[in-house]
Amino acid sequence: MADKPDRRLPEHVTTPLLSLITHQALEEDYRSVAERRAREGAAPEPRRSRVVAGAVIAVFGILISVAAVQNSRNEEVSDAGRATLIERIGESRSGLEDRQARIADLTRENLELSDSLTELATVRQEAVSQMRRLQLGAGYLPATGEGVRVLVNDNPTGDPIQRVTDADLAKLVDGLWEAGAEAIAINDQRLNPLGSIRNVGSAIHVNTFPLTPPYIVRAIGDTRTLQANLLNTTHGARFFSLADQLGFEYSVDRVSELELPAARQRPLSEVVTGTAEQRGDRGVEEDSS
Amino acid sequence: MIAALGLLVGILLGLIFQPDVPPSLEVYLPIAVVAALDAVLGGLRAYLDGIFDDKVFVVSFLSNVFIAAAIVYLGDLLGVGGQLTTGVIVVLGIRIFSNVAAIRRHLFHA
Repeated sequence: MADKPDRRLPEHVTTPLLSLITHQALEEDYRSVAERRAREGAAPEPRRSRVVAGAVIAVFGILISVAAVQNSRNEEVSDAGRATLIERIGESRSGLEDRQARIADLTRENLELSDSLTELATVRQEAVSQMRRLQLGAGYLPATGEGVRVLVNDNPTGDPIQRVTDADLAKLVDGLWEAGAEAIAINDQRLNPLGSIRNVGSAIHVNTFPLTPPYIVRAIGDTRTLQANLLNTTHGARFFSLADQLGFEYSVDRVSELELPAARQRPLSEVVTGTAEQRGDRGVEEDSS
Repeated sequence: MIAALGLLVGILLGLIFQPDVPPSLEVYLPIAVVAALDAVLGGLRAYLDGIFDDKVFVVSFLSNVFIAAAIVYLGDLLGVGGQLTTGVIVVLGIRIFSNVAAIRRHLFHA
């Protein structure tokens, strides 16, 4: 460029773009047509082309109004969409609040329930231990523990009158219960509240099971007091005096570990389970006693 | 006179019938309007300059609208529709402004 200063570029190339656009804002054609017409002498414009120009203007009007209408329609649609979205957000928020309130409720309820569960577990534990105590006392379960073993046998003379009878054993057993025995068995026949000691002919039946002498009465209880208490009870004292009178062979031993079997279970035909309130009353009574 | 009448009639027709623009053409409508506005203002300026010509006006109007829409369509095909629309609007906007300035000079002598 520097070595060819004479060379001129056309104006539309050298003019900056924005200036060019501004200069050529009016269509060049208007100018060139006007110049040509001026050269040739002004000719009257035909009427028809005026109408065409008017039609084009009308098309322009249609374009403007259609664009405006379309735009406002779109605006309505997007406005409606926005309103719907805002409404939905509100609904979701209130739903969320409801759920959070429900979470709080459920958490509180959970806490209460777990408290109540702990309470119930304690109650159940107490009930289970009470049930085991009752089962042991009632002869439902085999029992183990220290206790006293009383061995009783008929008078060695063989006199039928000087034999051990159901009444004698019953006295001994009553004495043992009175002295604080917790579980008693005669010759492996565990005694429970429904058990019986009966003479059938010459044989003694315990729990309707015939026994043969010698009779071994085993009682679980406190060995420090059981034997002494037995002698102090009415039934115990009477048993031992009878035994001495009738010449029974007997011996009383303390045993550190006795194993008593479970009692034979008799089906219950009349007793039915009581209601919860009765059980609660009884439980209170037992606890207080 | 005919021009003002035509504009009025066109606007009224558009408002009365409110034709539905197909969604595919909806994008080109605003750019077509701007291009048409440029042609109309150019025509008005030429009229005030005393060099108006119907044939030039009709041709420039139609070609402006068509070319503007075509450029945007091409831009859409190439994925630069938005940018090309901006370019077209800038050029047409500058032309509109300078034409309106010339018209203002004619009308108010200022």
